[in-house]
Amino acid sequence: MSRKGSGELRSGGSGGNGGPRVGVYICHCGGNISDVVAVEHVVEAVRKLPCVVIARRHMFMCSDPGQNLVLEDVVNEKLDRVVVAACSPTLHELTFRDTLRRAGLNPYLYEHANIREQVSWASKSDPEGATDKAIRLVAAAVAKACRLRPLEPLRVGASRRVAVIGGGIAGLRSALDLASQGLAVALLERSPFFGGRAAQLDQVFPTSDRASDLLAELMAKASVDPNISLYTGAEVASTSGYIGNFHMKVTLHPRGVREGITPDQARAAIEACPETAASEFDYGLARRKAIYQPCPDCHPPLPAIDWETCTRCGKCAEAAGEGAIALEAPAREIDLDVGAIVLATGFDPYEPRTGEYGYGEHGVVTLPQFIRMLNERGPTAGRLTVDGRPVRNIAFIHCVGSRQVDGIHAPGPDGKVNDYCSRVCCTATLQAAKEVRDRFPDVNVFDFYQDIRTYGRGHETYYEDTSKQGVLFFRWTADAPPVVEAATGDPDAALVVKVKDTLTWGEEVEVPADLVVLSTGIMPRDIGSLVEMLKLPRGADRFLQEVHPKLRPVELAVGGVFLAGTCQGPMDITESAAAASAAAVKASALLAKGHIELDPFVAGVDEALCTGGVGCNSVCVEECGAQHAISLVERREGGETRLVAEVNRAVCGGCGMCVAVCPSRAIQVEGWRLDQFESMVDALLTVEG
Amino acid sequence: MSVRVNPDLREELMGFGGDDVSACMNCGNCTAICPLSKDSTVFPRKAIRYMQLGMKDHLFRSPEPWLCYYCGECSDTCPRDANPGETMMAARRYLTSLYDWTGLSKRLYLSAAWELGLLLFVALIVGALFLFLHGPLVRDHVELTTFAPTAWVELGDWILAAMLSFFLLTNAYRMSRAILGGEKVPLSLGLREFKTLLIHGVTQKRWQECESPTRWLKHLLLVTAYATMLLMVVVFLRWFQTDEIRSIWHPTRLLGYYATAILLYVTADAMISRLRKREQIHKHSDLTDWMFLILLFLTTLTGIFVHAFRLADWPMPTYIIYVIHLMIAVPMLVIEVPFGKWAHLLYRPLAVYLTTVRDKMKAAPAGTQASAG
Repeated sequence: MSRKGSGELRSGGSGGNGGPRVGVYICHCGGNISDVVAVEHVVEAVRKLPCVVIARRHMFMCSDPGQNLVLEDVVNEKLDRVVVAACSPTLHELTFRDTLRRAGLNPYLYEHANIREQVSWASKSDPEGATDKAIRLVAAAVAKACRLRPLEPLRVGASRRVAVIGGGIAGLRSALDLASQGLAVALLERSPFFGGRAAQLDQVFPTSDRASDLLAELMAKASVDPNISLYTGAEVASTSGYIGNFHMKVTLHPRGVREGITPDQARAAIEACPETAASEFDYGLARRKAIYQPCPDCHPPLPAIDWETCTRCGKCAEAAGEGAIALEAPAREIDLDVGAIVLATGFDPYEPRTGEYGYGEHGVVTLPQFIRMLNERGPTAGRLTVDGRPVRNIAFIHCVGSRQVDGIHAPGPDGKVNDYCSRVCCTATLQAAKEVRDRFPDVNVFDFYQDIRTYGRGHETYYEDTSKQGVLFFRWTADAPPVVEAATGDPDAALVVKVKDTLTWGEEVEVPADLVVLSTGIMPRDIGSLVEMLKLPRGADRFLQEVHPKLRPVELAVGGVFLAGTCQGPMDITESAAAASAAAVKASALLAKGHIELDPFVAGVDEALCTGGVGCNSVCVEECGAQHAISLVERREGGETRLVAEVNRAVCGGCGMCVAVCPSRAIQVEGWRLDQFESMVDALLTVEG
Repeated sequence: MSVRVNPDLREELMGFGGDDVSACMNCGNCTAICPLSKDSTVFPRKAIRYMQLGMKDHLFRSPEPWLCYYCGECSDTCPRDANPGETMMAARRYLTSLYDWTGLSKRLYLSAAWELGLLLFVALIVGALFLFLHGPLVRDHVELTTFAPTAWVELGDWILAAMLSFFLLTNAYRMSRAILGGEKVPLSLGLREFKTLLIHGVTQKRWQECESPTRWLKHLLLVTAYATMLLMVVVFLRWFQTDEIRSIWHPTRLLGYYATAILLYVTADAMISRLRKREQIHKHSDLTDWMFLILLFLTTLTGIFVHAFRLADWPMPTYIIYVIHLMIAVPMLVIEVPFGKWAHLLYRPLAVYLTTVRDKMKAAPAGTQASAG
């Protein structure tokens, strides 16, 4: 068998003496097709078609023997077009294109007919009709194949730099993995501090290690990595461009504090500040100054000024001394050219409405708040107290803001309920419950759940351990959630939680509670303008949505943009880190060569026919949703200037809307040219079975 | 009205052997595997749940623990190793203490000092009675009826029986009130179902539905032996306790040997099994479980000695071992029957009887409605 180098693929003949030489292959799919479709009949019918040199059938065309059949025929019979009629092209079109490439033929001289999903599976009860339909579909494919042109993949240059948006644990993980591949990384964190939500956690499952230790390790590596540039206060102002060639404008908000500030100066500045605001780091459980450090080991270990609270009174600058504080520093804008973008924008915890499970009452907190309370450096210094009184009974309520049911739960501002499971809260709750029982053995812990979903490796241990440590579990259903009430005159506690406990045959039971902890779910974070700028697809749950959950789990439909962590959906740290690494691998694979190959199925303009109208230009972005791919350019011809359409082939998604509006058939999408379509329609209507 | 959860009860239950209540995650495998659990009487999960949440009143009203024969399949199947079988055992101990209005049962279960001290105390009373009140000592041959006149012993028997019955029956009355929830049982129904009480009391036939019938058979033999002995020493003492050496084929001797052999075998077998800890039912042994077996075994053993010494015609050893025999048997009965493990001889069949009556009472109005409609 002769095998040619990839550089000299045969382009196939067309017309002339020989005319196109088409080989047709009908797959049995092990009976999936041949049990319904009379494949030998199809072969016979197809053999009679013009241009068809050879027609065969095989049990499994995708198998090695099946592919070898094609390989040999291309060489021996000098085929220059191949049609395979088999399953859906999403499964094996690429397989057979590659077969052609190996046979020394241009891989785009291939046409695929789907006679499984579209014929045998759909028409089981009508074998005759199915056979007829198969013949027509194959004939159409042959007709198109005769008019196929050899194509070359598009090749666009790519910047070997990646923007990672979000400096939490996923962003850090992604940045480090990208940097290890030799790519330059710009890590953009919108807030003044790295660490994201993980920084606010204490012990984390399944190993009960400290989130702060994990972050410290990642930060230590990221801050010394020469390939990584760290930006805080960084907000993406605009993006343009396309896969391999994104151009971003990033606004850098000033920190207000100079790099060299000493810890003493920082302390003096913070002490001197007269303004306070609720601490977002402590979820509002404490107040902080306008110049603040959320915790002692924040990254970077410098204070920052919250410009919304700051009155620019200058007391901090006075206290810290010369040159430590910069109250008048302006925001800067930087330009970044990147080949890929990794989104690690994270999540927001669900914020219960006032009155939801008693939220708003003294003694009702969310799980993120409670985790801050457990932290020895948190707002209560690790003590469990409510209004100064020690806590003796804690009730945890699961699924607050998760697994909501239409008609039972009030919808959010966008009119939707969160019907998804936030996945991490069960184990996080049990982890907190375990910490309570470990550290405060006299405190009773009650747990109100719908289902315990401790799905991950090592998670179930928390369920078993807390149970054996005496945590009492109660189970409820969405239509009868627990009720939190003030317990007037109760000697045991200020609050009481009542529930129809399905574990006790629906009997209503109640527990005293000094503290009610609401296990709030994970909400998609509002990353507003980014969604618009990058045209990011979102699922019904409003999280960013990948192309395919299994086959392309961290890629977005927008080429060159990848997903890392909880912007995609509820994940724990383990899963976020895995997703972040996956996104880094996909981005580095994309940019490894410095250029990118794209399918050539994009629009092309026959300038001779183009009249420079604006139809194609205006439908382009509107309909396809991609970046604007068509622009009108001036052409000088014999002293005259006229406008013609020009396609940016790297941006074009090949949707074909421009083809539909072009009055002069000047614009066509390669691989789906109009003459190809027309010949297919003719074949469908004229062929005889 | 909602039930206030009381997590502190679990600590109290630990004293009764309910150590693993917290480990239960309410999956219900135990109940699914249990061959005896029925729709109207669901166990073990239900009782375990009440114990977990400290729902004392609900537990008090539950007959289920008495319907379990501790085959141990639940404990074998439990994914959390929460020992539902042993938890049911603990529930029976706890219920025994709840039924007992004197409060003595609770003290005996929760304190080894009380259990052993009281046994010793009663033993000493028995010893003292003989020391001061025994009849003339005939030393040239055995004359037990002179040393311990049958009429006196018989009197003691009846006083004891009356006392024990009083405590046991009053406790059983409290149990019945709790399980029936204060509902009045129609007299005809109560009497008609009385056979249930007798049949289950004598045969424990529900036990056969458990996986292995061997233990039921051993227990049934034990019941016959125990009943035989009890009848002979309480009701037929004047025939049983004689100085005449009868033919070996005499009914009292034959019955005596039968009962003795079985008592010896079954108690020894149970003690060995408790030491080996292979079967679920014998993996966990409370002091009260041990005392129950040891005392019964020793009673039997000393009984054999009394008989042997009498046959050998050794007067003093016979009298001494006779006193020891009673110093073991009497405390055993006094402590165990109304306040301890032996109360199950009434509570178990009573629970079957009460649930049957209760179910029929529930079914009756529904049936009436159906026929009326």
